[in-house]
Amino acid sequence: MDEYPDFDRSWLPYIYLYGVGGIFFLGGMLLVFKSKACDWTRASHRRWAKVLIFGYFWYAAIHGALIYSALNV
Amino acid sequence: MVMFSLLMQHVAQSGSDVAAAAAADAGSSPIFWFIVLGYFAVVLGFGSYFARFNKSTSDFFFGGRRFSWWLITMSIVATGVGSHSFLKYSGKSFEHGFSGSMAYMNDWFFMPLFIFGWLPIIYYMKVRSIPEYFERRFNAKVRALATGVLLMYMLGYVGIGLLTMAKTLGPILGDSWSLMEIIWVVAVVAGVYITFGGQTAVIFTDLLQGFILLFAGIILFVLGLNWFGGFDAFWNTLPAEFKLPLSNFNDDPGFNFVGIFWQDAVAGSIGFLFMNQGLVMRFLACRSVDHGRKAAAFNILFALPVSAIAVSCAGWIGYGMMTQDPTLVSPDTDPDTVFVIVTRILTTKAGFGFFVAAVTAALMSTVDTLINAISAVFVNDVYEPISKLRGIQHDDKHHLKVAMVASAGATVIGVGTAWSFSLFDNLYEAHGFFHSTFTPPLVACIFMGIFWRRFNTKGAMATFLAGTVMIILGRLLPHELIEPIAHGVPSIDPETGEALSAPFKYIGALYNLMACFGSGIVVTLLTNKENKDLEGLTMFSLTAARRMFKGSEPNDRVGFPQTVTYKLDTSLPLGAVRMDREAMNHLAAEQGDLAYICDKRKWLGGLRSAHAYFDGVHNSGETVLLAQDVYDNGHFLPGKLLVVEKEF
Repeated sequence: MDEYPDFDRSWLPYIYLYGVGGIFFLGGMLLVFKSKACDWTRASHRRWAKVLIFGYFWYAAIHGALIYSALNV
Repeated sequence: MVMFSLLMQHVAQSGSDVAAAAAADAGSSPIFWFIVLGYFAVVLGFGSYFARFNKSTSDFFFGGRRFSWWLITMSIVATGVGSHSFLKYSGKSFEHGFSGSMAYMNDWFFMPLFIFGWLPIIYYMKVRSIPEYFERRFNAKVRALATGVLLMYMLGYVGIGLLTMAKTLGPILGDSWSLMEIIWVVAVVAGVYITFGGQTAVIFTDLLQGFILLFAGIILFVLGLNWFGGFDAFWNTLPAEFKLPLSNFNDDPGFNFVGIFWQDAVAGSIGFLFMNQGLVMRFLACRSVDHGRKAAAFNILFALPVSAIAVSCAGWIGYGMMTQDPTLVSPDTDPDTVFVIVTRILTTKAGFGFFVAAVTAALMSTVDTLINAISAVFVNDVYEPISKLRGIQHDDKHHLKVAMVASAGATVIGVGTAWSFSLFDNLYEAHGFFHSTFTPPLVACIFMGIFWRRFNTKGAMATFLAGTVMIILGRLLPHELIEPIAHGVPSIDPETGEALSAPFKYIGALYNLMACFGSGIVVTLLTNKENKDLEGLTMFSLTAARRMFKGSEPNDRVGFPQTVTYKLDTSLPLGAVRMDREAMNHLAAEQGDLAYICDKRKWLGGLRSAHAYFDGVHNSGETVLLAQDVYDNGHFLPGKLLVVEKEF
């Protein structure tokens, strides 16, 4: 564990997680808008759509910050 | 969490460690036992107090659909964290670093479909169990298949839970108790509690447990940091690779990122949110869909990252201790024992007793939730359909009795499955095989059912039957069927160079999902469209689901909650409340709209509350008149103010 981690060990899993996971997330978001399950005319639905998008970037930021800290601090 | 008995045995075996000897010694300490038994008494007493709020099957299974989001969030924490987590994730983190807890931080990708799809569907359509959805969406045969699979899955889990608790207590009780005797004692305690307590007792026990588990984990982390002399000293002790939050991409067949992504982030997340009957019942216990959304979102966004620290930190601390003092934590330490060793190093005997009691009682949370869920599935999906076939109608009181008997029966059968699991050398692998074989068909069926209108009954049957056959084929022919999609994950042991007996244990989830989704998609496309009324059953018709829930058009005009006194009015029809004209205007409410009436004290979390509908107006001022059943269900106290809200 003493060696400095290479790209396969550090950023590749991150890109895969938020790339492939992002496809599922984006697909889900498109589906809820297409099906009108998320009704943009209702304030509570607009708020929940924003929470969902926030959640994706929240976790991406946490994982990104942890990887950056592990490699640089 | 691996069983405490195994831990203590492992700990005793690695007797070179000072901490190991101290941990083994703690079980003979009176203060240790005082703390352990006292903890159990407090937790069970806390839950039993709330059992008196059960008056109907709705109360027994769903807590009367009355609770606030924060209360449900914390109870979900205990259910999720309560099973294997502390020992399992500490061990994984000791071996693999911060990435050992990555399964806690990858559950967000399917939240759009849960928040705007599955949750409103089950809530508005008043789906009491997952198999019931299958009958409404497809037919009775698919429901029967789902019921069988779900019951076997949950009974297996109860068996694992009972066995785990028994083995936890085994080494502490000594040789005079056999494993089966301990299993029976544990089963009787858990069974009696859940049989009479129901969902309300489970929710409140888990609420307390959730706070304690997080508190215990964080305290352990703080004690660990203090041992190192602060966060910087701890952080600088660890190598860079240990600190990475995601594991190697595909090098290690025993722990690789890509396999865990498909096994946990995809299959596990869908399974957790969409087909966990115990969790579904928690969301149905929320006072509204919006509170269910808040509970799910807060749990995943904030509670899970904190839980990840709580359950994994012993592994991080243990690894740091090992690098600083290998005589304290040996490099040869069995990862499964690291939680106990680190906890014993950092705490006194009394503190150690508290941690052991917390993680052991947490297992009871998991078992309680499962027994309650089995009881719900039995009443809804076995007893009621059979009664209907025989032309017999039962009232709610009868169903409540059946639910209690079913809880007791589930506990007894759970003892049987615990016994059968005790015969396996490695019960986790046996259960893992069982789990990964039976859950993908349910997951695929629910998922396609809610967002693909074309998905038909034949497709659902194929998902169950052909999907399961293909999963078994995948187990038999892993190189032919799984290796082509294994993302380069090796099938040989990197240390010995020998072929693994069970290769692709994580990435196999991708194949299982493809098998089930593929079977359903192909058969649906090759068969005729169904002319079936799907109103409210897919995410394309949620407006209809709300209308069906209310019984008339929803009223979404924005109003303001009203704080009022209350009076009982026995002349009102069942489920009705009345307010004065001015209050109705402030609420933006019309006759027939749905109302939620709650004790003003928010910290009660909705314990004293009820749902009703507005039935006209009165001229008695700032008072809400309650029908007899609303008054009874609300458990309102004399002289306390109530808050009345219009739902829609």
